[in-house]
Amino acid sequence: MEATIEVTGLRKRFGGTTALDGMTFTVAAGQVTGFVGPNGAGKSTTMRVVLGLDAADAGHALVGGRPYRELRRPLHHVGSLLDAGALQPSRSARNHLLWLAHSQGLPAKRVDEVIAVTGLGPAAKRKAGGYSLGMRQRLGIAAALLGDPPVLMLDEPFNGMDPEGIVWMRTFLRDKAREGRAVLVSSHLMSELQDTADHLVVVGRGKVIADTSVAELIAAASGDRVTLRTPDRTQAMTVLGRAGGTVAATGADTVTVGGLTSGAVVALLTDNAVPFTEIAAHRASLEEAYMELTRDAVEFQAGQS
Amino acid sequence: MRHLIHAEWTKFRTVRGWVIGMLVAIPLTVLVGLLGPAGSQMSCAGPDGQPCENNVPPTGPGGEAVHDSFYFLHRTLTGDGTITARVATLTDAEPWSKAGVIVKRDTEVGSTYAAVLLTGGHGVRMQHDFTEDVAGPVSTSDHQWLRLTRDGNTLTGTTSPDGEHWATIGSVQLGGLGDAVQAGMFVSSPEHVEITRGFGSVDASGGPTMATATFDDVSVDGGWAGDWRGTEVGGESGMDTGHQESGGEFTITGHGDIAPIVPDQGSRGRTVENALIGVFAGLIAVLVVATLFVTSEHRRGLLRTSLAASPRRGQLFAAKAVVIGGVSFVTGVASAALAIPLVEQVEVAKGMFLFPASTWTEVRVVLGTGLLFAVGAVLALAVGMLLRRSAGTVTTVVVGVVLPYLLAVASVLPSGPAEWLTAVTPAAGFAVQQTVPEYPQVNASYTPADGYFPLSPGGGFAVLCAYAVAAVVLAVVALRRRDA
Amino acid sequence: MTTLHAEWTKVRTVPGTVWLLVGVVALTVAPGALAAGAMPSGGDPAKSALTGIVVGQAIVVILGVATVSGEYGTGMIRTTFTALPHRLEVLAAKALVVTGLVLAAGAVAVAGSVAAGEALLPGGLPFTGPVVRAAAGSVLYLGLIAVLSVGVAVLVRDAAAAVGLVLGLLYLTPIVATLVADPTWHDRLRTLSPMTAGLAIQSTVDVAAEPVAPWSGLGVLALWAAAALVTGAAALRLRDA
Repeated sequence: MEATIEVTGLRKRFGGTTALDGMTFTVAAGQVTGFVGPNGAGKSTTMRVVLGLDAADAGHALVGGRPYRELRRPLHHVGSLLDAGALQPSRSARNHLLWLAHSQGLPAKRVDEVIAVTGLGPAAKRKAGGYSLGMRQRLGIAAALLGDPPVLMLDEPFNGMDPEGIVWMRTFLRDKAREGRAVLVSSHLMSELQDTADHLVVVGRGKVIADTSVAELIAAASGDRVTLRTPDRTQAMTVLGRAGGTVAATGADTVTVGGLTSGAVVALLTDNAVPFTEIAAHRASLEEAYMELTRDAVEFQAGQS
Repeated sequence: MRHLIHAEWTKFRTVRGWVIGMLVAIPLTVLVGLLGPAGSQMSCAGPDGQPCENNVPPTGPGGEAVHDSFYFLHRTLTGDGTITARVATLTDAEPWSKAGVIVKRDTEVGSTYAAVLLTGGHGVRMQHDFTEDVAGPVSTSDHQWLRLTRDGNTLTGTTSPDGEHWATIGSVQLGGLGDAVQAGMFVSSPEHVEITRGFGSVDASGGPTMATATFDDVSVDGGWAGDWRGTEVGGESGMDTGHQESGGEFTITGHGDIAPIVPDQGSRGRTVENALIGVFAGLIAVLVVATLFVTSEHRRGLLRTSLAASPRRGQLFAAKAVVIGGVSFVTGVASAALAIPLVEQVEVAKGMFLFPASTWTEVRVVLGTGLLFAVGAVLALAVGMLLRRSAGTVTTVVVGVVLPYLLAVASVLPSGPAEWLTAVTPAAGFAVQQTVPEYPQVNASYTPADGYFPLSPGGGFAVLCAYAVAAVVLAVVALRRRDA
Repeated sequence: MTTLHAEWTKVRTVPGTVWLLVGVVALTVAPGALAAGAMPSGGDPAKSALTGIVVGQAIVVILGVATVSGEYGTGMIRTTFTALPHRLEVLAAKALVVTGLVLAAGAVAVAGSVAAGEALLPGGLPFTGPVVRAAAGSVLYLGLIAVLSVGVAVLVRDAAAAVGLVLGLLYLTPIVATLVADPTWHDRLRTLSPMTAGLAIQSTVDVAAEPVAPWSGLGVLALWAAAALVTGAAALRLRDA
């Protein structure tokens, strides 16, 4: 079984609202794919269609090349976490995992293994209704791991986690990808994926806006700009502007230059005897890159209402 | 599928509230059942003031409770023989007053017999051993001549409109008939009963009756010995019964009845289904748990997890149905198996008598209660899957299954609508409890309020099943079509 | 007053409420009409025309239970108690709003039943004092069932269990009483149980034969409803939301 998720041309309407509008992307094995977009962009709907919970009006979604509903023991193929709150509150966490294990023909031993892996420990004997959101996320992850699946699909797994939990989750996701699994993680906060995702699928208004590696995305957002720190800002701007650069002041002693390579900037400043203390290629944060991409796709923009 | 059932079973047993709710059904069935006899203090201070404990009705050869009291004018018949008589008149007769010829093992109450008789309103009949009844030929002319022939243990009844042309009604085998038997003429006349049934009230009025018949053209053939003797079988009735003979014509006045006792409201006897009056309460508990087994998944969004784990939705529903149906079946069997002996014990202690039921009948009722619980639970599961709401689901199934039963048995409705309700609603399933047969030859009130369902146990159960199947089909279609 | 307004807005904006109220009317009028058409001679005309109350009350139970259990089921009860920390006031407002709605629907249902009875009963439905009492009392009966349901729901919280409990309590005695042979116990049972005592209000023929007088019977039901509400209130104060 290949470790992939393939989504092709999904369309779905809920009454008058278009939830999915030709959603198409592929999740590859061996890396963490971030699934990002503003609220209401269609991330959760896509995941529900992948899991066969919702039926798409058009298009199809395949897991390892097969529709989810055809899988005999689906948790052996895909582990998923959609809603950490989907629990019977009066049932203990361990028993929650136990019925899931039984549904896949897995022994109780496997339950204890995933409890250990996710660090639930002794709390697993307690009623799930009393869990914090972070604990529920861990329980959801434990459920996703039960069948030791080659594909993991997690909806907002960082929600409600404390800093320690976030660090744990990042390491966990990277480890699973390194083992050769395909990992799809949705989030509406790009910063959560900063050091986790290798690849990004950015969505807005029900379709894919960008399907790219993190490195490429940041490079594209950074452009060829150079950040310059200089005590003589006015002089520097005049010199560089005359040479055809796009110059913008970003602080009392900092300037961003576009259209010129850092080598050209150094040469120009030296030739004109403009002093500078620091020069560096500009690197956009993932957050910036994302904001730039989704500016048009944000469904509920401030000021619109 | 096996894994799914295992998973659903784990789901069920790991929610303590559901297990407790299911277990509560058992004591609930028993305790509510005990309320009936606990609130009944029997006093049998009739004219003779005999205590109830000794006032248990006699049983016939088949073990059933019987009335066996009549005026018997008899001689001893040894070996084979025949008696022929014409019932010239039958006066003051109730529809089931009887006058005719009879061969009976002895004058002991409940002993085996066969009789050919003329009734007040149901023509000529041949009856034997209390429960068996065959109608004579249907014709416009009166069949007043009656003849009963004994050949070993075989008794043959014939009748004739004129004493010349005889038609055979039937031939029956009696077990345990000695060589010498008592045979002759008899008259019986049952209580007059008039039942008026209104809304929430039942009025039964009536009283003892006597009928008088004159027999002429009496002839016997075979090993007859002794004189005609008059005996009040079943003890002194205290009524003005007796016989006279003049010129070969016998005038006999009799009281009582030779028939099975039919349980009805106010009867001192209790049936197996009376002990199971608490079943509806246990059933409500089971329906609540079955509803929660599905609606709690909807409420928490847990259904998505279940469907992600088992995308074959029809199978998922089937697994749920198997688990909740199985658990409910066991609960029902346990409830009935405990309620019957425990309630009956109190009933006997309170001076009631029990209508005997065979072991097979009791087993059938116990298993039937299990099936009633199981199919009711599956119905609740399906309705819950459709409605996705707890309160609406519980109300729908309780109103569908229990309310019609209440309206029918608590005489809230007159018997017509009551029978209709217990035939076409899911409450028809309560018929699985029925143990007492209706006897066409006994005039009684055969209504749901008296414990008689219009459908047979199997038929009533089939109606309940039909509702459950329809609900399951709708639920599975909805589950397949809907986005989870 | 704010609390009442808030509860009214809540009830009003749940789409199911209107349908349940329609259900109360439909399920009360239809069986009453059927029973009135089938009434044997010598029956109580008011009782048969108002038979539907026995069925319609089930929907009233849903209404009463859902107002409380619905909030516990979704966790909204915490929002409610955050906005309105005076819990007893919330409970009182809930009971008032539901009872008010049920009384209104009950009035329509009973009016419909009386009209159907007048049209379908062999002798019509005479407009006498006892008949008016039976009709007005039946409306009050439904209102008290609503209060009882709210009280039980606060105690039990879970919707399914609350509905099961209320319906079981209502149905228990009519069924069990059929097997209680001792007339004293039989009458005692019917006097003490909420449904049989409450429905004594519908008796117009041979009133003396009822084990309990009409208004006293409705009083018994009122006591049950009050007891459920008071116990529920005590539990509400003592327990965590």
